[in-house]
Amino acid sequence: MEDSENSFDGIQELDNSIPRWITYLFVVTVFAAVIYFVHFHVFFQGKLQEAEYEAAISQFQKTKSVSNFDENNFSLLSDNESLEKGKELFVEKTCASCHGNLGEGNAIGPNLADNSWIHGGKPTQVFKTIKYGFQEKGMPAFNSQMSDNQALMVVSYILLKIKGSNPANAKPPQGVQE
Amino acid sequence: MENQFVNYDNRIVKYFTFATLFWAGIGLLVGVIIASQLAIPSLNLGISFTSFGRMRPVHTNAVIFAFLGNAIFAGIYYSMQRLLKTRMFSDKLSYFHFWGWQSIIVGVAISLLMGFTTSKEYAEAEFPLDVAITIVWLAFGWNMIGTILIRKVQHLYVAIWFYIATMITVGVLHIFNSLEIPVSFFKSYSVYAGVQDALVQWWYGHNAVAFILTTPFLGLMYYFLPKAAEQPVYSYRLSIMHFWSLIFLYIWTGPHHLLYQALPDWVQSLGIAFSIMLLAPSWGGMVNGFLTLNGAWHKVKENPILKFFVVGITCYGMTTLEGPTLSLKTVNAVAHFTDWTIAHAHVGALGWNGFLTFAMLYWLIPKIFNTQLFSKKLANIHFWVGTIAILTYVIPLYWASLEQSKMWKAFNEEGFLANPIFFSSVLKILPAYYIRIIGGILYLAGFILMLYNFVKTISVGKIFENEKVEISVSQNWKNNENGHKWLESRPVQFVILTLIVILIGGMVQIIPMIVVKSNIPTISSVKPYSPLELEGRDIYIQEGCSNCHSQMIRPFRDETERYGEYSKSGEFVFDHPFLWGSKRTGPDLAREGVISGEIYKPNSWHFNHLIKPTNVVKGSIMPDYPFLAENIVDFSATISKLKAMKKLGVPYSDEFIEKSKEDMEKQAGKLVENLKNSGINVAKNTEIVALIAYLQRLGTDIFVKTDSVSVKK
Repeated sequence: MEDSENSFDGIQELDNSIPRWITYLFVVTVFAAVIYFVHFHVFFQGKLQEAEYEAAISQFQKTKSVSNFDENNFSLLSDNESLEKGKELFVEKTCASCHGNLGEGNAIGPNLADNSWIHGGKPTQVFKTIKYGFQEKGMPAFNSQMSDNQALMVVSYILLKIKGSNPANAKPPQGVQE
Repeated sequence: MENQFVNYDNRIVKYFTFATLFWAGIGLLVGVIIASQLAIPSLNLGISFTSFGRMRPVHTNAVIFAFLGNAIFAGIYYSMQRLLKTRMFSDKLSYFHFWGWQSIIVGVAISLLMGFTTSKEYAEAEFPLDVAITIVWLAFGWNMIGTILIRKVQHLYVAIWFYIATMITVGVLHIFNSLEIPVSFFKSYSVYAGVQDALVQWWYGHNAVAFILTTPFLGLMYYFLPKAAEQPVYSYRLSIMHFWSLIFLYIWTGPHHLLYQALPDWVQSLGIAFSIMLLAPSWGGMVNGFLTLNGAWHKVKENPILKFFVVGITCYGMTTLEGPTLSLKTVNAVAHFTDWTIAHAHVGALGWNGFLTFAMLYWLIPKIFNTQLFSKKLANIHFWVGTIAILTYVIPLYWASLEQSKMWKAFNEEGFLANPIFFSSVLKILPAYYIRIIGGILYLAGFILMLYNFVKTISVGKIFENEKVEISVSQNWKNNENGHKWLESRPVQFVILTLIVILIGGMVQIIPMIVVKSNIPTISSVKPYSPLELEGRDIYIQEGCSNCHSQMIRPFRDETERYGEYSKSGEFVFDHPFLWGSKRTGPDLAREGVISGEIYKPNSWHFNHLIKPTNVVKGSIMPDYPFLAENIVDFSATISKLKAMKKLGVPYSDEFIEKSKEDMEKQAGKLVENLKNSGINVAKNTEIVALIAYLQRLGTDIFVKTDSVSVKK
């Protein structure tokens, strides 16, 4: 049980030199860290998070294509492909969670299958309701989630397929009958 | 040299060892349960106590403080007596420490399930338990220092340095992060608000990783690895270098948990710079561990204990490389808020801490029970099952992280989010959540094998609770040493130096955040919560919503498109505590209440969703909260909550506080009326009403003009 100078409870400690690579690694990381900090906070080079964000936004604005869709004058799409896509979007963009899977309405949103409309039932009115929403009444704006073309497909699906479909469990009509 | 006899206390080691095994079982089991809840939400059972938001902190606390905490104490009490050639300073303190710690664990587990939580990660325990932790920790520290002072050897071995750093730093972190003002016995508010609270919390949170999951385990490695391998430690010089650099640098790295968030850039950059520098010091421990096995690799083949060490140390090397990598902004932008964090933490916890603990126990238990391990073969099987378990657990989560992050950030060619519905990204990674359950079960199975092995071992062994050992004691301690050798024989100076070294980083970052106003630009339209919203916020805390939902929108185009304007530091000045969250199992809620915003939902949506999320999101994995519509908010406590907030500097006037009941009635009444219009009948004083009021307030203030006309973004 005799412990010599470099022994603790029988554990010997050698005094090998530190492997060179790890010393170099340390030196390199210290330099990298200092350069990193100085670059941003002493020489004020490089974009910090707000500048980075602004750059990303302006880059997007430059490349963004301008929609030439006229929301005051358009006709509904009646081809099967568009209506099928409209149906998908109706579920995928969560319309269904507040208006029911068949547009029958639920505790959250009104029935879309009847002839009564709270914000108007003309194609242009339904389109704008979807695009800009009536947030105070709980209808979100979908202009950041859907393109105008996609919104048109949804409007077409609602007005050509859901409206007048008499789904089960329909919510009583709300708004003005048209 | 003179020969003396010393009685080592093996009973306390046995106690802590058994506690380790007991709590490991609990911690791992709860882990498997909550992993299953994420994949199969019906396992939340629709009751408060068993919901993920309450169970998850039980898992993390049980693993970190109960399983690994007891393992650390077992190892420290065994090795310290032998390294210092003396019995522990005070048996009374030893057993006070033991029973105190176990009582705290039980108290924490029960109180968390009951919803008493501060919401601060790994520091969820409420006020009275925080006090108890402080007292027990001081007893541990006192016992440790006392033992060092009555030691029979001149120099402190490297393991002891790590134990000292652990004891000092955990004490400091715990006390300063837990500064809170009690409202009632089990409810308190953090004295820090918003950004400051976030910074202090992650100073604590990251260094809990450092000083509970790293330094004590390095100390244990320095004792148990050379013991088990019967090899000399490779480099004394390396141990000095990496010890001091590690404890100095670690403390600075907390802000890397808050990158791209509402924290001043200079603090973030400091966190990044120090994280980069931390790589080599962290690896110093790995290198010294591996080189200690130099020339003994043939032993690893036959010895399951060494196998556990090798994989454990490898996992340590991997996580400590991953840490600095995740601290780089570009990587962090992808990985943060995803399951990468979970995978990273489990490489550390299952691989490094778990395997190192298993290695230690396989060596220690036969040792103190004076026998051989019952079955080496079973230990080998445990090793392989455990290793496969870790891989089965982490690989799917790494995949899930990358896949989900990709979906969050994707835009279609028209410039819209390709996946505007958050849930579609959850659906995508659900298979990973199933596979990880298998990983968890395998790890638990390996643990049970070990348990069986120990039961068999102990049944034939015999413990000497007081082990009488003859030691040789040198009477002539050297007086003429320089440098580190000088310090190693001066524990008081060692402790003071350690304290100074670990205080610097935290002070440089935290003090300016509290003192210098310009670090958090004020926004005049940001106002305190209404009494009802404050109660709702406390329910959000109680149910652990922040375990799955962040309230922090980062300045990325995909996030501002998905959630709305990015979060500003000035928005959180009344948030005691902050609720930014660290993981998005569900979507961010920072702008939930902004009516013109991206994610606004009407009250009726929230009601239906909270009662049963699948009502509105088909396949949602969020637990059902039907009880929120039944549980009553105790409005009698509201006044004391408002008064506590006032003490913390939230500008509630006395008049306002006095009229708070009317204010609540009014706001709740309006909300209930609105729900009634949708055909929903609910009482005004239910938790769900307060919670919805809070959700509808979230993120709205910056859009309010001071003349209270709301503006479109």
